[in-house]
Amino acid sequence: MSPLPLSGLLVLDISTFIAAPAAAVALADYGADVIKIEAPGEGDPHRHNYKRSATYPRSEHNFPLQLDGRLKRSLAIDLKKPEARPVLEKLVRRADIMIVNFPPPTRERLRLRYEDMQAVNPKLVYCSLTGYGETGPDRDRPGFDVTAYFGRSGILDAARYEGGPPGLSLPAQGDRATAMTLVAAILLGLRHRDQTGEGCWVGTSLYANGAWANGTTLAGAAIGGKLVTREPPHKPKNALTNLYRTRDDRWLQLLMVRDDRLWPTFCTVISQPELATDPRYTDREERKRRAFELHALLAPIFASKTYAEWEALLSKTGIPFGVIGRVADVVDDEQARHAGIFAETTNPEVPRTVNNPIRLGFAKPRVSGKPSAVGEHSEEILRELAYSDAEIEALRKAGALG
Amino acid sequence: MPESALPLAGLKVLDISSFIAAPAAAVVLGDWGADVIKIEGPDGDPNRRIMTDSANYPKATVNYPWEMDSRNKRSIVLDLKKPEARAALDRLLKWADVMIVNFPPLVREKLKLSYEDIKPVNPRLIYASLTGYGETGPDRDRPGFDATAYFARSGLLDAQRYEGGPPGVPGPAQGDRATAMALVSSILMALIHRMKTGEGSWVGTSLLGNGLWACGVIAQAALANAYLPHRPPPDRPRSALGNIYRTSDDRWLQLTIVAEDKMWPPLAKALGHPELLTDPRFAETVERRKHSADLAAIMSTAFGSNTYAHWLKALSAGGITFGVISRPQDVPHDEQAVACGAVVETKIPDLPRTLSNPIRLGFAEQRTAHPAPKLGQHSEEILREVGLEAREIAALKATGAVK
Repeated sequence: MSPLPLSGLLVLDISTFIAAPAAAVALADYGADVIKIEAPGEGDPHRHNYKRSATYPRSEHNFPLQLDGRLKRSLAIDLKKPEARPVLEKLVRRADIMIVNFPPPTRERLRLRYEDMQAVNPKLVYCSLTGYGETGPDRDRPGFDVTAYFGRSGILDAARYEGGPPGLSLPAQGDRATAMTLVAAILLGLRHRDQTGEGCWVGTSLYANGAWANGTTLAGAAIGGKLVTREPPHKPKNALTNLYRTRDDRWLQLLMVRDDRLWPTFCTVISQPELATDPRYTDREERKRRAFELHALLAPIFASKTYAEWEALLSKTGIPFGVIGRVADVVDDEQARHAGIFAETTNPEVPRTVNNPIRLGFAKPRVSGKPSAVGEHSEEILRELAYSDAEIEALRKAGALG
Repeated sequence: MPESALPLAGLKVLDISSFIAAPAAAVVLGDWGADVIKIEGPDGDPNRRIMTDSANYPKATVNYPWEMDSRNKRSIVLDLKKPEARAALDRLLKWADVMIVNFPPLVREKLKLSYEDIKPVNPRLIYASLTGYGETGPDRDRPGFDATAYFARSGLLDAQRYEGGPPGVPGPAQGDRATAMALVSSILMALIHRMKTGEGSWVGTSLLGNGLWACGVIAQAALANAYLPHRPPPDRPRSALGNIYRTSDDRWLQLTIVAEDKMWPPLAKALGHPELLTDPRFAETVERRKHSADLAAIMSTAFGSNTYAHWLKALSAGGITFGVISRPQDVPHDEQAVACGAVVETKIPDLPRTLSNPIRLGFAEQRTAHPAPKLGQHSEEILREVGLEAREIAALKATGAVK
């Protein structure tokens, strides 16, 4: 294996929660030295999400930090204190990349805008993430994944069954997709620096990423295309290409496109041989016309057996079907192992983690250990910057260092 | 800004892929200046017809998905199944910096398009492949789609459902487009590697990997044996103040109240139900959570009695935090969508606006979208550029290997 592609790069991650820190994780996975700059004391509030957020699965282990904090060193400094400024500027002078996600007015107040940083290090690639963009009426609005990526972009409205409530998004689902865009933006910034010798600003917004993900529907809407509604499973257009709930609350996806051929077989498999000769359903067009009726008839039949029982009955009949996967199954899925989706860690509390989705033939992502505690590397980093014991002590006394 | 200043100006890309995730990655490279040649079979990329073929696509008179996924590309028809096409393909491979494929591994082997086949032709080439489920393993040759590999297999759709309800609904190409950004990142990493070592490489990603990355929180939780219960439906929420409500004009509002103690009085007033403030069932957070179904029923009726526009005004006046659930048709007209650069103008007469890719660079603007190519529109021009003579091109056409 060659050296990791990003080895030798110094990244300052001055961001919180998920999208921006996850981009820093992907850079660290591929070799970058990432310093997380966070507030003394509590640190990044995301450190406490596993205990505080109602939408997170409960665990006694800080599993989200393995995902969003791995392979970083932590420097706890209070950017609001003037004493912290020289520390920050020394780091910025050495850094190749800096990632922020404060809304523009906070960046201005903390003197962390691109203009401020460019003056300190003209070769810096400065990357910012916003909820809604760097300009415009909502630029200062704090953006979260569920509001900016999913709500505002029209994804949740589009992701619903006709007449039903809006769709649901999962915690940080859009954040993590957005992180890949940030990585691409940063790598384009590095390329620019290599080509011109100059630093630059790069960035993205959650809103733009949601709009991009919803791009097909939005591009259709932009030219007045007729938007499509999805019929709920109990009112299907075709009862034979539809979702059915099984006895164990799994969802079986029936995909009998060739029902012209398979209808008699299907009637036998579901132990309803009389259906095969029922004149209401013998004809393909009739089955479609009576889709609601047919669904009402099939739903209790599917609900009477578990998915495993149906799998045994339907396999080898030639009737196409599938199941809606559960995360619980995927973590032990052989195919997921082949696709390199999960990785072992050296942290006994969280022994496996999720890889970023980038795969390289010439390098493997680094193995992660236990994520660092708030300020765990404060002293080490300050010593690298040639701070003396007395200076470090003075910073601590001023409350600027944690 | 001259196009030569774009960060990928001069980069030559062969897009030998179909449908959306992989072609969309090629679009992003093109947006930033790369010269993208799309190699298609005689029938063309089926994505040219997806708007009419797929029941889940909005129908329009303009082929907007094709325009979006093929902007600024040139098209050559090369029938890779014909041996006569090979010499021309090799010329193109020697010309290229990057090649993008999404055939399953078995098909790549049959067409002699695996990385091992290509590397000797051009050792500096960056070979990027997209799969549904990865390059090895029992399902490596299974065709993967966004709905099946990114959404269903990953567990996303199962997790995205209300308790007792049907699975979530994936939007068309939603996972494909997110995956495209991971593919772009992998290609850019390979460019760094090539700059450092002079060597080409294989890079890639899978739809399944991206789906699991997107639901990373719950996947990581499952790896630590913690599981997410399904969300209770809106008529019996965990908290009526963190719930969604339908308005009289069939829009939805997402209440996201965190500081309940402070926000409960103005909310009750904005709803026109000040009497709730003295109702002992709803006095404190604990009681409100305990009676959340009762409270949700009252609030549901209240929100249902007036329009979305009314509630936007009333809630804002009370300083009450809420999220907007936009409808897709609202987004292209949203001032902020233009401000953040998501909705941009094109040079396509029938399609005056489109979606930009979400990368923003201070030093360069994305190229303006020009019309997507007709099938084989640039076949001759491209073959001449890579050094084929007129009679060679004519011979290829005669065999049907080129159109």
